[in-house]
Amino acid sequence: MKLFLRSFPILMLLSFTLTGCWSRRELNQLAIAAAVGIDKTGSQYEVSSQIVNPGEIAKQKGAGGRAPVVTYSTNGATVLQALRRMTTESPRKIYFAHLRIIVIGEELAKEGIAEMLDFLVRDQEVRGDFYVVIAKGGKTAKEILSTFTTLEKVPANHLFTSLEMSERKWAATGKITLNELISNIITEGRHPVLTGIEIRGNSKIGTSKENTQNAKTPAVLRYSGMAVFKHDKLIGWLNEQESKGYNYTQGHVQSTVVVYACPEGGGGTMSTEVVRTKKTVKSRMVNGKPVINVKIKGEGIVGESGCKIDMTKPETISELERKTNEDIEGKIQQAINVIKKKYKSDIFGFGEVVHRSYPKAWKELKNDWDEQIGSLEVNVDVDIKIRRLGTITQSIEQKIKE
Amino acid sequence: MNYFFKRKAKRYPSSKSGTIKQSRDRQPLTCNITDTVDRIRESFKDMDDLIVRETRLAAFPDIRLALVYIKGMSDTASLQQGFLSERGARPHPDAFIDQDVVDYIKEAVLNLSETEEIRDFDALNTAIMSGDAVILAEGHALALAVGMKGGDRRGVEEPNTQSVIRGPRQGFTETIGINTTLVRRIIKDTRLRMESRQLGRITKTKVVTMYIQGIANDSVLEEVRSRMDKIDIEAVLESGYIEELVQETKFTPFPTVFNTERPDVAAAWLLEGRVAIFVDGTPFVLLVPALFGQFFNAPEDYYQRADFATLLRLLRYLSLFIALLAPSIYITFTTFHQELLPTTLLVSLAGQREGVPFPAFVEALMMEITFEILREAGVRMPKTIGQSVSIVGTLVIGQSAVEAGIVSPAMVIVVAITAIANFVIPAFSMGISIRMLRMAMMGLAASFGLFGLILGVIALILHLCSLQSFGVSYMSPFAPLVPAELKDSIIRLPRRIKLFGSGSTGKKKSARRQKGTIPSPEEEKRP
Repeated sequence: MKLFLRSFPILMLLSFTLTGCWSRRELNQLAIAAAVGIDKTGSQYEVSSQIVNPGEIAKQKGAGGRAPVVTYSTNGATVLQALRRMTTESPRKIYFAHLRIIVIGEELAKEGIAEMLDFLVRDQEVRGDFYVVIAKGGKTAKEILSTFTTLEKVPANHLFTSLEMSERKWAATGKITLNELISNIITEGRHPVLTGIEIRGNSKIGTSKENTQNAKTPAVLRYSGMAVFKHDKLIGWLNEQESKGYNYTQGHVQSTVVVYACPEGGGGTMSTEVVRTKKTVKSRMVNGKPVINVKIKGEGIVGESGCKIDMTKPETISELERKTNEDIEGKIQQAINVIKKKYKSDIFGFGEVVHRSYPKAWKELKNDWDEQIGSLEVNVDVDIKIRRLGTITQSIEQKIKE
Repeated sequence: MNYFFKRKAKRYPSSKSGTIKQSRDRQPLTCNITDTVDRIRESFKDMDDLIVRETRLAAFPDIRLALVYIKGMSDTASLQQGFLSERGARPHPDAFIDQDVVDYIKEAVLNLSETEEIRDFDALNTAIMSGDAVILAEGHALALAVGMKGGDRRGVEEPNTQSVIRGPRQGFTETIGINTTLVRRIIKDTRLRMESRQLGRITKTKVVTMYIQGIANDSVLEEVRSRMDKIDIEAVLESGYIEELVQETKFTPFPTVFNTERPDVAAAWLLEGRVAIFVDGTPFVLLVPALFGQFFNAPEDYYQRADFATLLRLLRYLSLFIALLAPSIYITFTTFHQELLPTTLLVSLAGQREGVPFPAFVEALMMEITFEILREAGVRMPKTIGQSVSIVGTLVIGQSAVEAGIVSPAMVIVVAITAIANFVIPAFSMGISIRMLRMAMMGLAASFGLFGLILGVIALILHLCSLQSFGVSYMSPFAPLVPAELKDSIIRLPRRIKLFGSGSTGKKKSARRQKGTIPSPEEEKRP
């Protein structure tokens, strides 16, 4: 017993070595995946991972000769199989916790993404807070991920920040995370949308480092439009106007630009910066049929004026507000119409609103909701208040007139 | 852990104490002055600084007197003056005719010096050795020890440790008499009490316990006395000897005794009801009971504005966490929990680690040990060489190691901030504890990740809460919570503000005592 007591602390200390530092991995044993692209070729998934080359990124001085990222691409019957097969190409274990973006091939999206999403949600290493986008314009996800970008050394970072920025300042794209996507897929009365990404320019040069060495980049990654899904299958695209209309209804517009013709005519245009929009979507039952009311409120700032109008007069400002409202309302109606007539997929979540307000009626309605959406009455009411004119009051055009 | 040390401790005193006892000479003095002087010469054999002078007094010309002292240890000037004036005064012999010669010396010759009558050889030797001058008189079986302790001593200087920007610049010296006086000058109250005792069988070092009657907690005082009484040691060379013997027997890396070189700090602690232990021969005065929070208070906290002092204290506690945990957190984040780092930071760290051959733990350990070596080298170097050591060290660990690709730059940053944060802790003794624990934390972090680290911290907090210093909970006033004392803890509220009524640390009827956290002396029994 004495011997045991005396050796106990030593045994305790020795037990530390027994752990063998379980699941320890040094930073230089990791291949940090910044982006993953998933395509379908035949019956196989083609998974591409964009791996960051940290040595090249962190380097302070001297432009290194090597590429800042490397993209591996393998096939497999499932996503996991393809990823594990990737170890035959990659010297390190691919680490997904810092994934910033997933690009899904258009073909795969048309066939359905539910199966392939399962791995991403199930795996404990994948975080679910990255964005999901769809490769558009005949390009595969692999091609998107193989394009070099200039300002951001890691193309995945470019995709990530550019999506965030365009959503914030232009509002015709949507940053939809994996978690949101999954919830949109499984929510009753709502179908998901995803932003599209395409390559503009010469995509061949894009895959070489030469792409980053021109002032006018030959191949540019650009977000355009939003993909409309029905459950997990892509059924079509919204154009820029419609995408913006869609974002208004979701309250996703933090700031955008509304352009309209001068109130007095004469070919000039004006733009208003619309900020801080808020949406209210409510449903009512009229004669046993649901009616949706969409109300958009927000603030406007005169951003640009080529009109000969007197902006010191309150009537002019009201006129400008009316024009702005008209434009926004038009975009929203355009988006609703294309859904009603063409896609018949409730991406707006109107069904969800009805479900919340009239849970009993919803039980009847939900069976053929997507068919009913074609005849759904949606009232749109936009109320933008112009609060500021910028640093000058009258336009330069106006001054010339005087 | 205690177990390891018990056997050794027992064996040590028993083997040697026997031989020392034999040399003790409890024999009484005799009337024969020649015999006595011979015996003194015998026991101080081979000591050529022993001075024996024979003299006579003007009033008692028939009686031989012998003056014995050690050169350099006694201040003979005042002694000489006494004898000279006696001779010059030539008082009428009749005035003292029926008086004893010893009483005459006491009253007429050395009427301003402290004197003590000695009746055995043991006390005689001790008196001579401690610097008293001893007067022997023919026909008297007693000796008179005259307090002439003197000789060269260091003056009061600014303390090297615990220096302040604002505050008194006095520091304790190696002489106990000066030290107690320095405190007396601050606390001019008759309730300031001193208990003197001699510790160390060979060194016979004077140790003084100081407290303020009525403010000091009786149970703490009793505890100090009983622990001091139990001390059985051959030599006391520094207050560290006493500290080791009176501190808590529970195995802990934390100091439970505070030490200071500053009279103002000692006075402040005394006023808070604590006990100061002065040891002759060292400027470091021990203060008990010492609580965890007090090791993070600087004397200046009380001299600066309260708001500034509060911010500084917060900074010190932040430094405590950095000093204790920074390398281990770096290890866990980079080897187990990469997902917790922001992506750009991760990429940057990974880039720095490219080509580093060792795991992060080994890297951290290497850097920590290198730093400890440099610090240890610098501490004992003469100041001029110390500088070059630090320059070489900076170049070696800062620059070359990174350039050679042995360590990553981020690790250098982590180790550097850890080291600097460690220096922020005002009490050096607490800094050492943190240094030791840091290594343990790194081991836990490297083997179990954040899980191990959190467990380690929990264990540490539990340990801290279970500690006591002289019967007072170490983590007080946080655990147990004493709301009245929180105003001077992590924060220092302005003196005008009273929080939850009055109450101050360790005072007799403080909230802590009412709550029963200080046990009465009978309850508290040391193992």
